[in-house]
Amino acid sequence: MTTDAVRNEYLPLPALIRDIRRETFDVKTFSLEPVGVGEPFAYRQGQFAELSVLGLGEVPISITSSPSRKGHLEFTIRAAGRVTRAMHELAIGDTMHIRGPYGNAFPFESLKGKNLYFVAGGIGLAPLRSLINMVLDAKGEFGNVRILYGAKSPDELCFKGELEEWKAIPGVEVLATVDRADQGWKGRVGLVTTLWDEVGLSPANAVAILCGPPIMIKFAAAGLAERGFGDGEIIMTLERYMKCGVGKCGHCNIGGRFVCTDGPVFDYGQVKAMPAKEGVF
Amino acid sequence: MGTILHKYDVKALLIEAAGDWDVYAPFEEAPGDVAFRRMNETDRGGGLARLELGDLPSLAGPKGLFFPQSETLFRFGSGGVEETVESSPKLLFGIRSCDLAGLLFADGFFEKDFADSYRHSRRQGSLLVVKGCLSPPRPTSCFCVSAGTGPFAEGGFDLQLVELGEDYAVEIGSEAGERFVADHPRYFAPRDSPSAEIARVKEGAAETLGLKVDFGKALKLMEAGDFEKVYAELGERCIYCGACLYVCPTCTCFNVFDRGAGGEGERLRNWDGCVFEGYTREASGHNPRTKKSSRTARRYEHKLKYDPSAAGRSGCVGCGRCLDACPVGIGMSKFIRTITGGTEES
Repeated sequence: MTTDAVRNEYLPLPALIRDIRRETFDVKTFSLEPVGVGEPFAYRQGQFAELSVLGLGEVPISITSSPSRKGHLEFTIRAAGRVTRAMHELAIGDTMHIRGPYGNAFPFESLKGKNLYFVAGGIGLAPLRSLINMVLDAKGEFGNVRILYGAKSPDELCFKGELEEWKAIPGVEVLATVDRADQGWKGRVGLVTTLWDEVGLSPANAVAILCGPPIMIKFAAAGLAERGFGDGEIIMTLERYMKCGVGKCGHCNIGGRFVCTDGPVFDYGQVKAMPAKEGVF
Repeated sequence: MGTILHKYDVKALLIEAAGDWDVYAPFEEAPGDVAFRRMNETDRGGGLARLELGDLPSLAGPKGLFFPQSETLFRFGSGGVEETVESSPKLLFGIRSCDLAGLLFADGFFEKDFADSYRHSRRQGSLLVVKGCLSPPRPTSCFCVSAGTGPFAEGGFDLQLVELGEDYAVEIGSEAGERFVADHPRYFAPRDSPSAEIARVKEGAAETLGLKVDFGKALKLMEAGDFEKVYAELGERCIYCGACLYVCPTCTCFNVFDRGAGGEGERLRNWDGCVFEGYTREASGHNPRTKKSSRTARRYEHKLKYDPSAAGRSGCVGCGRCLDACPVGIGMSKFIRTITGGTEES
């Protein structure tokens, strides 16, 4: 055992809330600026951070902004529990605390030249948005981009304005669907998997990137495999209850893996190798 | 040349050592009830009458000295976030070889990839003095010989004591151990190394450990084995109290939570356990590991399957505490016997 002082990975830094955008009735996107660090908070696409409201606790939240847009650090947060509900009470100019970034990242270089299918359910679009904007900022280096987005109901669709902006980009298709329509909804009704024929889903030179509720990932991944996508061409980001974010607290263990440090990004082959009883899906 | 410590000098040595160290040792608090805890003024005043260096087992091992059941990570308030650090010099006197194996396992885990600063600062500079067992402290539940962790340690200690009648032969395992011996010349006497006698004592001690399980076979079986029926049966009996986790030398899971009001407070971490239903429950209410059997499986697979593959050593050190602590008679040795299909008692 060495006697050196070691860095304390559990100490969070204050982060100023620069902006808050309402996405849905229970989802907001927070723009944060860590203070007192001197340099910008560097992160990669698909990573997450631990965000705190001191006195209430800490939660792992994926970073939704893109590393290609320097200076932006955004988190899209649903008011789901005690800490996230408290975050929703905060205003611009208030302070959260942050540590990270943690976890691995979505591939980027290896996706170049490929056709990309982003398959998202509900707030699952948040982590994908980081990679989507990174890809779209270098769109010329990628094939076609299709964004297939499902939500329970129209009022649970996030990033509505951005969906329209993405749609306007040449070579980008955005298809949204809801499980249950409301009176104003003129769009599609059904699970995201029902969109595949409409976009002419093809595994040729393609990679699919998924995030959503476990049940959506389960059926979407199995469906993609059925349509000829290889295990390494189906990439997903998993969520799990976690406390430390750095591979020590044990909560996010699945089999021998930690979602926080081995993931959160895994390919289908890795996920299928995880023990079924651990309830990955 | 070897080193000898007379048994009757141990108490005086510990009192002298307390000048430089926070001394931790086994004390018999009530008949048969041994706590591994810090030596205090009352102990000294009473001439360390309750020091217990025989073969009585301690309920909990020394894990909590470096990874407390509850500890403050930092305090917060108007002055910002203020780190709390504890790094007293700790002398652990009279831990068992299984306890040592547990501490070394936890060292490996907490130092992996990055050092957990809290455990690191508590652990650094500590001195581990092992006293090997001449007979099993938990005759019906401990199985260090099968687990390869005892009754004497082969390394990793600073000092190890081997009982030779009225003396302890002192094995020096590190520079820090050597320094400690040199710092207390009144108590450590050079003596021709009675190596043949030491070997004989160690061998004899190993033979007294009656509980044997086929540990190697268990690890092999767990690699690919599917013991869902066993997990389901244990899952029905287990009352999910978590006693096994709290006494386990290698359980490292923790929960983190805040306490405070009005902008002042602290963040703490507490021991947590994979057998608790809330351990994997998400804010949405979704819980990927709700079935009792899957939580039972988690415990055994973590120790006997995933730890060996990730850490290169089993997450069970054979101390037997889980079985002793269990209100319904579930424990690692029984599980191993069930899956290896033998009683293997000799």
